[in-house]
Order: sequence, then structure tokens, then C-alpha cells
Amino acid sequence: MIQHIDVHAVLQQSVPGYYADLVTRPTGRAVRQSIERAMLGAEAAVARMDFSGVGCIDYSCADEIIAKLLGEVKVLLLRGLTDGHREAIEPVLLGHGLAVVIERPDGTLGALGLQEPAERLFDELVSRRLAARTPGGVLALTAA
Amino acid sequence: MTRLVDVPANFDDRSFDQFAGAYAQAASGGERLLFDAHAAEWASPYGLVGLLAAGQAAGALGGGGERPLLTAPTNPEVLSYWARAGFFREAGELFEIHGRVPKMKTPTDSDVLLPVTPVRAAEDVHEVVSHIQMRATAILTSELGIDPKATMGFAMALSEACQNIVEHAGTGGWVAVQSYHWRRRLAKRVVVIAVADAGVGFRHSLEPTQAKRFGERWGDAAALEAALIQGVSRFRDPGRGQGLKGIRNYISRWDGKISIRSGTARISIVPSWDDDVPLKDGLAAFPGSQVLLIIPEQGSRK
Repeated sequence: MIQHIDVHAVLQQSVPGYYADLVTRPTGRAVRQSIERAMLGAEAAVARMDFSGVGCIDYSCADEIIAKLLGEVKVLLLRGLTDGHREAIEPVLLGHGLAVVIERPDGTLGALGLQEPAERLFDELVSRRLAARTPGGVLALTAA
Repeated sequence: MTRLVDVPANFDDRSFDQFAGAYAQAASGGERLLFDAHAAEWASPYGLVGLLAAGQAAGALGGGGERPLLTAPTNPEVLSYWARAGFFREAGELFEIHGRVPKMKTPTDSDVLLPVTPVRAAEDVHEVVSHIQMRATAILTSELGIDPKATMGFAMALSEACQNIVEHAGTGGWVAVQSYHWRRRLAKRVVVIAVADAGVGFRHSLEPTQAKRFGERWGDAAALEAALIQGVSRFRDPGRGQGLKGIRNYISRWDGKISIRSGTARISIVPSWDDDVPLKDGLAAFPGSQVLLIIPEQGSRK
């Protein structure tokens, strides 16, 4: 089972004021706690976070949300990422020795972070039949 | 009795140590301070937010009963510029201002990407980041030749610099961002981010977790080195300390400069175009932390 999370919507619900940016630790903490509440009881090993509509992400927020959520779920699948988002998330993942799976606009999968944990994440998705190799040899989700 | 603190005629990061020396000497008496800026000819964002930090600290001297005095610049152009930069809006709360101050207007100056803005809480950082993304993208890409994809990194660096106040200063501070042509020092356009507070400073913030590790070397310089070079934080959480490291990486990529002054020391990542020293200790004591980020126009447009 995949837990779907609209990060922009969670941000709107978690902090007062209309903000599109994931900045500051308190904001990151509030967003993560909202996500953790939503995941309670769902027993999802895979969470798919959609960052569409999110403006800037800073390192503090990326650490509070992504790095800490990786202690709650086996696989984090991120979609709707911009280059700017990656710039904030990747150093945080590398700093913790972690990785996430990214879903490209064409549905194929890639990794962000360390290579070794990323390979394990791919294996996890394949073993759960949530992803498979396409005839072209790239990995793609089997179920959206 | 009132003690005088001269504000340098050209007030920027280079003349700040002179200002800090005058401040330290005057503040040692615990008397009311008069900041004399009547002869000011120019002030960088760093000078303006630094002056506010001095006002904040001076207000707390002698039990915080009286606000320090400030004589405003007499040159109408300078006065107008300080007003456009949002200085007097904040200074009015900290100083008893003497001299004619122009009516406060919403800054419209295209070079003032972010007027002097208070930073006290996470919400202020959100406002700053929202504002800067609207104003800065065009300047960064068209005037500084920075890849449009990298403009989010600029907002990120600004956010982390402001968060240092919220997380570590123990008081509020200010941020200002401006773009201008740096004729004498670089002969290029630059974008300058200046952040200042009169809070506890890096040494005090890191002391409980780092002092023992440094032993006799512990001081303001060691604290700055630990924070900027080693990426340590007062929190034991391994994810902490990423902010300054991230700023450093971003600034290095664009051949920029980062400089942090706290207490009696200043640490800098010095690009080839600058002649600053990487670490300077034994400066005049000045409260809190003052951060300067400079991003120059890129030589070969990307």
C-alpha cells in the first residue's frame, strides 16, 4: 500500500498564513507531525509525497521532514520535485547516509541520496510489486 | 552623562570594526549612548543592520531604562536612502532619533531587494523568503548572470541565515538585501545579504556542547570555526548544522563571500576577488552575530 501525501496541502493545513515555501524548522516539524498523524494506522511502508506547488525548501525543513520521516516508513517516493528542491534535499540525505526514490514526470524512477540505500529501496518496491523494469530497462511504478 | 559613538562616514563591513571599537569603549561605562551618524555619506546593508543591533544592545545597558540617541545623517540623499532601505522604520523603536527623518514609505527602490526587516520568529522567515523570491529572481538572472535554477538556492541561503537568529540569538534581529554596482572593490554588480542581531552570539550558543572539545582554544574564533567550517550545532541532533554548510556551498559555487562576525572574532570564506583574511580574532567585542553574504555578477554568463 502506498500512502499519498500532498505536501502543499499539508503545509497549508499545518501552519497559519498562506505560505508556499517549506522553510524553517518549526514549519518542517509541523508538516512532519501532520504527515505522521495522517499515516497513523495506515501501516504504509511506502509514502508518496507530491511536492507540486511547493516553492522553496531549505535544509532545515528538508531535514525535519524528509530525514525524520525516513525513520517512519521504509520507502519515501518523492514527485513534483524541482531542481531547487533537490538542492536542499540531497545534502540532507547524504549527511544522514539516506536515500529516497524520485518519480520523474514520465513515471520512471530514480534516486536521490546515497547509492547503496537507494538500491535497497528499488528492491523493496520491486519485491512489493509496486515497481518493475520497463522493456527499456528503467524502473517505473506499476501502480499509481 | 552620554557617551558618543561615531558612525563611520562610509559604514560597511570594512569600517564595522572601527564602529565596534567605538561602541565597546563607550558601552563599557554603562551610560546612555549617542550614535552620531550626522556625517554619514553611505551605509551598506551590513552597516544599517549592524547599527540597529548596536541600538538594541545599547538599549539594554544600564537596565534598559533609556533608549540610546541617534543623530540622523544630514545629507538629504543619504537620509532618503536610509529611509528607502527601511532603516528608520526599525530605528524608531530603538533610538531617540534627532534630525529630520523623511516620512516612511514602502520602499520602491529597485536596488532594495528586501528593506531592513525584523526577524523574530519563523513566520518572519516565511515572509522574507516569499518577498525575496518575487523581487530577486529577475535581478539574479538578468543582472548577475546566475542560472535561473539557482535562484531558489539564494532564497534557501537567506532563509538559513535568518533562522540563525530565530534558533540561536535569543533575541530578534534584522535582515536586509540589496543589489548595487560595486565600482571600487570589484567593478561588478553584487547582491548583498546582511543579517545582524545583538543576541548571545556563537560562543555562548555552542559553549555547552563544544567548549570542552576545544579546551584552551575555546573562544569566539573557535566557535565560529566550529559552526562554519565543521558544521556543528548546539543541538545533538545529527541533522543540525546543515544550514551554514548549505550557505557556504551555495556561496562558493557562485564565487561569493560569506563572513560572520561574533563577539571578538570574524570568520570568512574568502573568494579570489577579496583580500579579507579567513579568520580574525581579538577584535573589539560586539554583541550577537553579524552575517554578510555577497554574490557577485558572474564573469561568464551561464
